[in-house]
Amino acid sequence: MASTACFVIVSRNDCPIYESEVGTAPKKDEAAHLHQFILHASLDIVQDVVWTTNAMYLKLVDKFNDLLVSVYVTADTHTRLMLLHDSRNEDGIKNFFQEVHELYIKMLLNPLYVPGSRITSPFFDTRVRTLARKYL
Amino acid sequence: MPGGGREVAESCVDSLNLELVATYCKRLHPNKPELAARRIEAIGYQVGLQLAERYTKERPRFADHLEAIKFICKDFWAEVFRKQVDNLKTNHRGVFVLQDNKFRWLTRISVDSAPPGEAAQMDVNAAANASRASQAAGQYLYFPCGLIRGALTNLGVACAVSAEVSTLPACSFVVRVKV
Repeated sequence: MASTACFVIVSRNDCPIYESEVGTAPKKDEAAHLHQFILHASLDIVQDVVWTTNAMYLKLVDKFNDLLVSVYVTADTHTRLMLLHDSRNEDGIKNFFQEVHELYIKMLLNPLYVPGSRITSPFFDTRVRTLARKYL
Repeated sequence: MPGGGREVAESCVDSLNLELVATYCKRLHPNKPELAARRIEAIGYQVGLQLAERYTKERPRFADHLEAIKFICKDFWAEVFRKQVDNLKTNHRGVFVLQDNKFRWLTRISVDSAPPGEAAQMDVNAAANASRASQAAGQYLYFPCGLIRGALTNLGVACAVSAEVSTLPACSFVVRVKV
């Protein structure tokens, strides 16, 4: 079953520090730009929603045509894990976010990693893709 | 975190702090106490950032600065020092004082009392003791100050932290939130 999904981690300075297409649909060139555009556009909505609740998983935040945006915020309120998807698999997405959060904490524990800089580790990339295949 | 929690003997952490201070303040920068203090505090800052991220993983997020400071006083302190902060005071305008009456990393530090023959000047002794205590212990508090600053910064509270010690092993940390 082909599904599109695009996953982005946005840091405190509103810069994306990690992005990847984790869906199983065949890649279309113009779709990649559209995905990034939708995710960036929903950042404003995330800012509003973030102050209304103190849960970490913010569920569904925005909708564009038939694409949905779900967001998970970590304790410092500004590190956002955002997922663009077209399936409605809330539990799977929640588990995916929690596992990626653990991976992100491990990244932070690396003393050579400057918090807020791009995550370029191929291991992180591989693990995120594995998790996406498992949960999404 | 994966695998059960792995633990380190507390004496190791104690000794590490002592050695950190000895290395930075005596060996690396003997004539520049300010620079040594900033270096140690920066190490504490990074550790505090990482610890805060780990300890807040499961719990819901904080509604405001006071919640974050209370988290530091209770859960964070309990995880790192195995006790909670004894007293928290605030002036409701961004200054918080965290008081710990028996700070674990200071329990092994003692100050020589004044030499005999000056027992007549008791109040002078008290003041002299206090200043000797703060001199001796002040250096060992750079790392915990950095720890608090790093943890709070990662929870969204930008602040400056300083420490004061009057009688060992009690000490207080003053947190000034930057607006």
